[in-house]
Order: sequence, then C-alpha cells, then structure tokens
Amino acid sequence: MNAFVNALLRGSFLLWPLIALQPAVFGSVDDAQSFALQAAEPYVKQGFQVREDYWGGDLGSGEKKAVRQQLFKGNEYWFWLGTEVDRAKVSVHIYDSDGKLAEEPDGWEKGHFAAAHVIPKTTGSYFIIVSIEESPAERTHWALVYGFR
Amino acid sequence: MTPFTKCLNLSAVALSGLTLCAQAAQAPQHIDIKQLSKTVEDVVVPLPNEIFGALNKLGAVNWKEHVRSDKGANFTERPRIALLLGTVIADGFVAVQAEDAPTVKEIGQRVLALAKGIGVGNSITPHAKAIIEAADKRNWEAVRLELDRTQNSVQQAMNEVHDEKLSQLVSLGGWLRGTEVLTSVVTKHFSADGAELLHQPDLLSYFQTRLQAMPEFNVSIIREIEEALGQVKPLIDVGNARIPPQSVKKINEITTRLGNGIVTRD
Repeated sequence: MNAFVNALLRGSFLLWPLIALQPAVFGSVDDAQSFALQAAEPYVKQGFQVREDYWGGDLGSGEKKAVRQQLFKGNEYWFWLGTEVDRAKVSVHIYDSDGKLAEEPDGWEKGHFAAAHVIPKTTGSYFIIVSIEESPAERTHWALVYGFR
Repeated sequence: MTPFTKCLNLSAVALSGLTLCAQAAQAPQHIDIKQLSKTVEDVVVPLPNEIFGALNKLGAVNWKEHVRSDKGANFTERPRIALLLGTVIADGFVAVQAEDAPTVKEIGQRVLALAKGIGVGNSITPHAKAIIEAADKRNWEAVRLELDRTQNSVQQAMNEVHDEKLSQLVSLGGWLRGTEVLTSVVTKHFSADGAELLHQPDLLSYFQTRLQAMPEFNVSIIREIEEALGQVKPLIDVGNARIPPQSVKKINEITTRLGNGIVTRD
C-alpha cells in the first residue's frame, strides 16, 4: 500500500465519528423549521396563513419548553413542531393562561412532526408546550411554526 | 420458570413499557403555569392581519376608511425609522383588507426606502417587488404573505447585526398601528367580542420591558410610548371582566396620538 492510500484511509477513519454524529452535530434549527413548515403545508390549502416568524432551539431527551402566544377569539390556530433528528419523538400541546388543556382532540404526533389545534374560547395568552419525548441525539433541534385562519 | 413463562413475562414488561411510552405522550389536563415561568420563551408578536381577521368575523368592516395616505416624514434617527417601518407594514395590511391596490404599491415602495434607511434594504428589495407585482394582480393573499415576509426579513437582518432593539421597535410600531385601527373599528361599532380582542396584557408587558431596556435611544416618541403603555395597561388587564366602550375609546385616543407622533417630525 503506498503512503498516499495509507494517509487517505487513516484520514477517513478520523472522519467516521463525524459522519456518525452528523444529524446531531450538523443539523440546525433551520432544518427543524423546514420540517415544521412541511407539516404545515397541507393546511395552507385549507386557508391557514402560516407565519414567517417561528420559535426554535434545542432540547435534551425528556426536556420541555413553553412558549407564550397571544391568541384571538374568532380565529382558529394550528401549531406545527418539527425536528430534523431521525427517530426522535416530539410533542406539542396548548394550555390556556390558567394552565388548562385548551386544544382540540385532533392534534397528532408522527415521526419528525407533531401538531396541535386550538380554537380559542377567549382572547389572551396561551402556553404552547414543546417536548422532546425521546431522541437518539444528545440535543435535539426543534422549531415551532403556527398558522391561523 | 419455563421458557414460555419467561417469554410471557418479558412480553408483559415490554408491553407495559410501551403503554408507559404512550401515556407519557398524552398531555395532562392541567399544568402549573407558575412552574413554567423559567422556561417560557419570548412572545411572537401577532401580525395586524391576525387581529383584523378576527375582527372581520364579527361583522363587515369598512376598511377603506382606515387606509392612511400619510406615509410619514423622512427621519434620520434609526429608532424612529424602525418604528415607522413597523407602522407602514401594518398600513399595508389595512390596505390589503381594503383591497386598495394603489396604496399597497405605494407602501411597497415606502417599505423599501425605510429599510434602506436602516441599512437592511438588500434583504427587502425582492419582497417590495413581489408586493407591487401581487398588488397589480390584486392577489391579496400573496400581498399578505409578502408583507409578513418583509417584516420577518427586516427583523432577521437586524438581529444578524445585533440590532435586536430596532427589530423590537418594528414590532412595536406595527402593534400600535394595529391597535389604533382595532380600537377605531370597535369604537364605531362597539361589541364585547370586539373589545375582547384588546385583551393582550402579556404582550403589553413584553413591550414595556423591551422599552425599559432602551435607555440609549434618546428619542422623545419612545419615552412617550413607554408612558402611554403604562396608561393602556390597566384598561386592558381586566382579568375575566369585560373591556367597556369608554376604555376602547380611551385606548384609541392614546394610540392615535402615538401614531401621529410616529409619522410626524418633532
């Protein structure tokens, strides 16, 4: 084996751990946002306006984050959560300002995505609870987008 | 233990594990909000059309009478430009509600000029073009989308250069103009549901906190807004009580005064 091939092989051995860690290390909140927007896509056809602004970050397995959002009675909202991490299990739920579950029963969780639906009974602040239920990654990027009609 | 029993026990353990997983994914009916306080993220400020949409469902609104032709003076102070930019974008949403194509096109041009004034023109040029093209085609849904994209791009560009405070002023300008229009509509045709749309105490607190963290902006309108939000807060922070017509009228007077202050040179 010549020296060049030897060096190449040694170099590729060094790269293996990086390749194995790729989803966790090289993923980003932007990737997570792409998944969240993908989940939102079918709802646009139903007349939902999806906001450009979004929340995002990273969480460990079993961790939760709450985001506060002003919702208006008369509108109908969907919140879509996405992550780029394969085999991660995520969830999103909506509570009113008293801490009472406020979502409709048609929310769902599937693969990279989760979604929650709310038709606010009153105008005011609501809490959207984002959770990484399980994940193979140490930190899991997440992004939450919402739409209304 | 027989191999079969062993297998059955293992299956039972696996099944109970799966059941636990399923239960973990189920949301509790009630949570303690106070425990969340340390993990709560900042609010995303609603766009004016989110409020206008809810208002539309309460009855027909004559949006044409709320379209504003005065697009504001030319300022050199960046905080003033940021506030005005937010206001003009909100005016864009009003013009879309009124389906007023010429005004929407003027707003597209004005937004671009203001964005250039605070150094983020490059990120806005394609959106301004798209707003004008969509207005020509009277494609109101596309105009709404581009106005949202415009505001988002402006704020992202500002955040990238660590001008988060200017970005917050864009949101504030939009919120004030939206509230001015909302209170004007509800004052003319009062309804309890319309007044309830003003119930935004957390959003108001958010803006108050942000303004308090801007002592370096030595601009009188910013201090006026800070003081005025203090007057508005008790009028909308009413818990489960209803917001009466006189409160709506008072908020309209305050936000109209502030709106004039934002578009006019001192």
